[in-house]
Amino acid sequence: MSGQRVDVKVVMLGKESVGKTSLVERYVHHRFLQGPYQNTIGAAFVAKTMYVEGRSLTLGIWDTAGSERYEAMSRIYYRGAKAAIVCYDLTDASSFERVKFWVNELQNFEEHCRIYICGTKSDLLENDKSLRQVDFHDVQDYAEEIKAHVCETSSKTGQSVDELFQKVAEDYVNFNSMQGPTEAKGVDLNQKQNSTLYSCCHH
Amino acid sequence: MSLKTERRGIHVDQSELLCKKGCGYYGNPAWQGFCSKCWREEYQKARQKQIQDDWELAERLQREEEEAYASSQGAQAGPQSLTFSKFEEKKSNEKTRKVTTVKKFFTASTKSLPKKDIKEAKSPSPSLSRQYSLETDRVSKDFIEFLKTYQKAGHDVYKMSKIFLEAMYHKRESNIDEQSEFTQDFYQNTAEKLQMYWKVSPDKVEKVTDQIERFIMTRLYKHVFCPETTDDEKKDLTVQKRIRALHWVTPQMLCVPVNEDIAEVSDMVVKAITDIIEMDSKRIPRDKLACITRCSKHIFNAIKITKNEPASADDFLPTLIYIVLKANPPRLQSNIQYITRFCNPSRLMTGEDGYYFTNLCCAVAFIEKLDAQSLNLSEEEFSRYMSGQASPKKQDLENWPADTCPGVKQMHRNLDLLTQLSKRQEHIVNGAKKLEKDLIDWTDDVTKEVKDIVEKYPLNIKTASQALAALESENIEDDKLPPPLQPQVYAG
Repeated sequence: MSGQRVDVKVVMLGKESVGKTSLVERYVHHRFLQGPYQNTIGAAFVAKTMYVEGRSLTLGIWDTAGSERYEAMSRIYYRGAKAAIVCYDLTDASSFERVKFWVNELQNFEEHCRIYICGTKSDLLENDKSLRQVDFHDVQDYAEEIKAHVCETSSKTGQSVDELFQKVAEDYVNFNSMQGPTEAKGVDLNQKQNSTLYSCCHH
Repeated sequence: MSLKTERRGIHVDQSELLCKKGCGYYGNPAWQGFCSKCWREEYQKARQKQIQDDWELAERLQREEEEAYASSQGAQAGPQSLTFSKFEEKKSNEKTRKVTTVKKFFTASTKSLPKKDIKEAKSPSPSLSRQYSLETDRVSKDFIEFLKTYQKAGHDVYKMSKIFLEAMYHKRESNIDEQSEFTQDFYQNTAEKLQMYWKVSPDKVEKVTDQIERFIMTRLYKHVFCPETTDDEKKDLTVQKRIRALHWVTPQMLCVPVNEDIAEVSDMVVKAITDIIEMDSKRIPRDKLACITRCSKHIFNAIKITKNEPASADDFLPTLIYIVLKANPPRLQSNIQYITRFCNPSRLMTGEDGYYFTNLCCAVAFIEKLDAQSLNLSEEEFSRYMSGQASPKKQDLENWPADTCPGVKQMHRNLDLLTQLSKRQEHIVNGAKKLEKDLIDWTDDVTKEVKDIVEKYPLNIKTASQALAALESENIEDDKLPPPLQPQVYAG
């Protein structure tokens, strides 16, 4: 059975065919998929163990269906996620419009989830700058406003891919080491409350 | 006994109609000859006794089991069995008070109530009794065996689990959400204690939690799966009906990247369907999750064979929806609710099983909300399919495999003919309606034309006669004219 323990849930969001799956493939298997290949049966869920500040951490990376017909259900996916990588295609302005939809959803329903805005297919721009449809500075302004991290990646060349996931892991560790003790205390208090409540019921 | 006489004859002695307890009120055969008040008392007593009885039995069984294990262990490992028997001692000391009261109760009640009455009282009561099946026994044996490898921490876990089960038993009547919360708290507390106090590594904690889940959920399953206090069952039926109504949905409509013509792929599809149906037969949340995971793996294989590349979530979710529609798994909603409420939370929230489970939840949500737009159909088409007026499947009749049931084939052929017939009828009706309309229009047109002409050239008979009269009058006046000149002869 697939019993691997996972510490952090990372959810991949983004319009269809912006390259969410390729990004994960590049990160986990260090390759870019072109044409048929045999090794994996699916890239929808992967668990990847990494080391941050001498501590091992397993990321569970959840791919999601980007089609608009499943938009209403996306909330089920990112429940409990600690980080969301919201992808858009640098050569497709409409895909960035959809980023705003997910960011909005995340802010409203999953406030503890950190957001990473990730432009994909940057390799396409190397040869032809005119293909760019989403301006980097616009994205940066937007990201500052929502306190998100921004990056532009290429799954083909591997540009910024590892850095992105490393950042996700580091942020998680840093955030948790700061928040950890206070959080634990909070839970303890609640439990005591609960137990007294239950004992009341017995009498 | 009194029941028998009552059944045998219609003429019953007055005394037999009275409450068996002799309180003076009338008894009722439905209450085994007691009046309503006394019956309630008796029933409560019997039920209470039965519950205690079961607990007592369970505890004794457990103790015997443990002792057997401890002694068998004792031959191999001395110190371990020592700790175990100590623990047993402690445990039995704890229980002494309770056990004696139970015994008192037991002896007292056997005196006051004849055995047959107890049996009779048992039968109408809801089956609250804990039935210790073979599986449950095996699971507890495994659990104890497993915990032995953890020594002291294992004893602690066992004690905590027992206390938890007892607490859960007292909560059996309360709200399911409360029970779920209590269980989740238990998982969390146990895991925390193992990690903080017993210094067990996180990976091992996960393993222990899995075993705890297995142990407690085999026992609780009966009471907390699809409980009567919720509308889970109603929801199950709704989902089932909904899926049945959607039998016409084709893979094409959902954009499912699976080609079932490939034998290997259809094999995978069948396996996936079997797995998802099998989920209902499992008792432990984790086993149910394993079914979903297996089903998902088969789906991934099917996609991979069809597309020759690994599936992404964009391929997977539609295929899972298709599989759920095809399988119509029994008690789907209840299973999802049960897993959500009682599964070990860390597994559910982050791991691979959790991922597939989330997808299943998504698929069910999609099926519930599904409309014309989500299948790229027009509203009209959708409602036609939903009402059964049309079926998109018949178009593929020619491509059907040879082994399809001939009756089904014939039915679809007939359906085809009927559709054609209804189309032709519609055509005729439309033609007839058009003809009728044309006729009406024609009549209207003629009438209008005539009217117009009449208006344009009014046929005023009066004026005509006046004119005539005028003519005539002229003639009259003509009459008044001097007579035409006549040639006259003048002398000259």
